[in-house]
Amino acid sequence: MVSADAVELIVHRGVELQSISLANARAMFGLRLARWPDGKLVRVFVLPDSHPLHGRMSKERLDLYPYQLRQTWDRLIYSGMAQAPIEVASEEEMLAKVAATPGAIGYVNKARKNDPVSILQVE
Amino acid sequence: MIRSASCRLNRALGLGAALLALYLPPAAAIDLGENAQMHGFVSQGVVHTSDNRVGGGSDDGLAADMRELGLNLSWRPNSDWMLSAQALARWAGAADEGEPRLDYGFVDRSLFSSDSSHVGLRLGKVKNPLGFYNTTRDVAHTRPGATMPQSIYLDRVRNFYLAAPGASLYGLHTLDRWEANWSLNFVRPEADDVDLEYLLLLNNWSGHIQGRPSWLGQLMLDRDGGRWRFGLTVGNINMRYKPAGVLDPIQAGEHNLDTWVLSAQRNAEKWSLTAEYSQTDNKVGDYGFAFPVFAIRNSTNTVESWYVQGLWRPAQDWSVYLRRDEIYLNNKDKDGISYGLLFPGQGHATYGKSWTLGARRDLGAWSFWAEWARVDGGLWLSPQEMPNPKKEWDMLMLQAAWRF
Repeated sequence: MVSADAVELIVHRGVELQSISLANARAMFGLRLARWPDGKLVRVFVLPDSHPLHGRMSKERLDLYPYQLRQTWDRLIYSGMAQAPIEVASEEEMLAKVAATPGAIGYVNKARKNDPVSILQVE
Repeated sequence: MIRSASCRLNRALGLGAALLALYLPPAAAIDLGENAQMHGFVSQGVVHTSDNRVGGGSDDGLAADMRELGLNLSWRPNSDWMLSAQALARWAGAADEGEPRLDYGFVDRSLFSSDSSHVGLRLGKVKNPLGFYNTTRDVAHTRPGATMPQSIYLDRVRNFYLAAPGASLYGLHTLDRWEANWSLNFVRPEADDVDLEYLLLLNNWSGHIQGRPSWLGQLMLDRDGGRWRFGLTVGNINMRYKPAGVLDPIQAGEHNLDTWVLSAQRNAEKWSLTAEYSQTDNKVGDYGFAFPVFAIRNSTNTVESWYVQGLWRPAQDWSVYLRRDEIYLNNKDKDGISYGLLFPGQGHATYGKSWTLGARRDLGAWSFWAEWARVDGGLWLSPQEMPNPKKEWDMLMLQAAWRF
């Protein structure tokens, strides 16, 4: 599953987890789980639905089709049960926003060692 | 006069808001800072029917009185609290004329959290869980087609089932390949609705139906991130007819609905298959003998309904769907023969059977539908708009929706 250029989940450095279960990662990106174990609010950052990296993250990291995420989001956002993920335009913006926002989770194509974020493994 | 003036005002407001929406920036959301968000949607449909009116004068013409407009706000100061509210206006012929209303408005408090569980409580006007789609049935792009399957989501009782003042306890649990989401709502249904009165009491009487303490519970199980989804909704909904006074021909009476819905869905990359089945026991009592119909209706009948829908995605932004949908007001009188003895020629008003074929195209924040339905029966139709429906009819609907 993990190839050399696999999409990686990244989190704000204040998030103390190194790994997360697949079910919890799905629930977080699905906006149904909005709380880290330490009680901090989860802030989800995503690229636009049509961005190739978004499609790859859905399939490779969450094993979901992007349309499933969109359907779940819309049902929760328009019934008041969750807040929408925050959409960013590029990977650079993703990295900057996740680094700057406590509780943030997002994804990049390949995180580098000196990036100001932590990598979150999905188990 | 007043009604028609308010109608015109509503129409103007709706059009104005729709135009305003088009000039807003096409952002995914408007982030108001400090964890507050605003979202909205607008939809417009055009309907043509071979017989029977839908959304105004669709019979042998075009009806454009099919519109939805919503705006919501949410604020999440931390992971323990959230405030959410949505205003909605909807136009659907004579049944809904665009009066703005509170769609939901509640405070959400987190009660318990662990690695694999979360439990919370919502208080206020909460959305009622019913099948896969009830909570966002007025939001076009979340529907399984341009129209809702009328079997499970009959528009004639939509206001009643949609949301109600009360409390909702909910939870999420994850375990390996499974995720369970449940909710238990204790509400007092908003039952003062003309369409509901027609359905339960066959007329718009001078008194009112009042909601009594009721509950609805739902369990949804997702396997492999929703490749498979299974749901069960169970509820007990209580109402009481309150006569307008001593001159009201109808005496006080009770309605008690026991309902359950089974839901199942298979999601693959290129296709989805969805099926839902429901039964609702309608227990009627205490009406006395003031009106002959009610002597008969002081009894139990069971509403039975189901649909199966296949959806195919030939490309990322395209989908095509085919649906078979059936609903019977009384499962012991599926052809409406007994009903037809009381109301000659109207036996078919007790059922609705249909084939629906549709296509959807998504373009960013926009979605477009074209949908055709061949319908046998008149149960879908609001008697306010169509007191004596024809038995067999076709409906063609075009719809556009935009959201932010």
